[in-house]
Amino acid sequence: MQRQQRFESQRAKMSVVRPFDKLPVLNSAAILLVGTDEDLQRQLAQTILKEKKDFKISIHLATSLPLPAERDHIRPRIDLIVFMINVQSKYGFKNIEASLAHVDANFFLGKVCFLVTGVGRVNHCSVDMSAVRKLGDVYCSPLVFCELELEGIRISTAQRLLRMLQICAGHVPGVSALFFSSLMRSSNDE
Amino acid sequence: MMVQELCERQGFLRDKQDELLQEVEELAKHMSIYPHNLAPKIATNLECPVNAKEELLDECEAMWKKLEECQSKLTLLGTETLTDSDAKLSLLMMRVKALTAECNQWQKQTPEIISTNPDVLVELGKEELQKVNHDLEMVLSIFKARNKKLKEDLKREQQWLEEQQQVVEALSVIEEEMKNQVVQFSEKRAFQELKIKMLKIKEYKEELSSALGEFLEEHFPLPEEDGSAKKKKSLAKEPTMQLITLHEILESLINKLMSAPHDPYLTINDTFWPPYIELLLRYGIALRHPDDPKRIRLEAFHQ
Repeated sequence: MQRQQRFESQRAKMSVVRPFDKLPVLNSAAILLVGTDEDLQRQLAQTILKEKKDFKISIHLATSLPLPAERDHIRPRIDLIVFMINVQSKYGFKNIEASLAHVDANFFLGKVCFLVTGVGRVNHCSVDMSAVRKLGDVYCSPLVFCELELEGIRISTAQRLLRMLQICAGHVPGVSALFFSSLMRSSNDE
Repeated sequence: MMVQELCERQGFLRDKQDELLQEVEELAKHMSIYPHNLAPKIATNLECPVNAKEELLDECEAMWKKLEECQSKLTLLGTETLTDSDAKLSLLMMRVKALTAECNQWQKQTPEIISTNPDVLVELGKEELQKVNHDLEMVLSIFKARNKKLKEDLKREQQWLEEQQQVVEALSVIEEEMKNQVVQFSEKRAFQELKIKMLKIKEYKEELSSALGEFLEEHFPLPEEDGSAKKKKSLAKEPTMQLITLHEILESLINKLMSAPHDPYLTINDTFWPPYIELLLRYGIALRHPDDPKRIRLEAFHQ
């Protein structure tokens, strides 16, 4: 009975995404995109890959956490988690709220970012903006607003995410992820 | 206290790891200049490295070992997830601890000097200069584009300004012309026109009054005095009054009305021939005073 409990608790621990559970790979970084809108995810991933960068990048896509435990050993250390919130889908929002429980608390010290899409079409918003802002506030993570259907905005968002990823992976000397996230906090948050 | 220390340690280790990673990567980049593969573990112990490559390899190795040590320490620390209820508070506490740890570490840290090997320094210098060159080229192109745009904007604005000035000039010319006309008009012409009007009206008035006089003389003459003189003599007490014509009666009525509109009443005396008074009253040309039968006025046809 005890053994089973211990096994289960271990399993639960393993299903949580942890920021420093593996050794980093030289000159590379990994980003995890979590969101229910798979087309947008794929488009964003492709745009990120096309950007000019001088390190290797691996992009992982997921619709929700926890990540399947079978591929855990092949997966590299995740440096940045981007939660893609589509304001037009309540189901997606609830999904993301549920996934947040499977993220280790240390991730929220600057290695998590919320990407909010779909704000352009005000008539189809089914998620309240105050709820989204509250999410960003509670988890002390930056909110990035963008409309990923437009290519120009997609490219600039990809560049921003790449820069954040560089910092979170430790490639920028003197700037740590925590320091950077403190810089990203706007004056509205206080 | 223990927890705080642990958190500090954790923060310190994380930062150390990040730092080491950065340095490792930089060195790895330099290593790529030299056509050798970087093996992850070199078991040999080089005493005095002769060339730059070996020195760099050594540094890499030392850093990687430190990295592994930090990693092993980190894996010992457990995971914790945030619950909904106190997520913000616990997260903020964590942030405070981590930031203080990072701050302390920055204060304690002294900058490390990179290797003094001249080959390494030359390569590093080259790379720095290339980066700076690239950045400056980007800046230059941005400023050129901005400059061009500003010039175009300036040209457009100047054109607009010119057009507006032309419009202003044309309008001021028209204004001048109009001003002159207006001045002339208001001073001379209006005066003359009024004069002419006045003359015309006076003429018309004279025409009307003469026509009226003629009409009245023809149709409403004063009664003859021939027959009644004898009868009057027999009575001998009545004085003979000079009767005034209907024309005169009307004239005096009009004048009274025009000159004193608040009191247009005329007192009837014996110079007024009574039948004519009756005539005026019956046809509504004159009105009696409501209190005094001896006073009459002209009906105000103009009001």
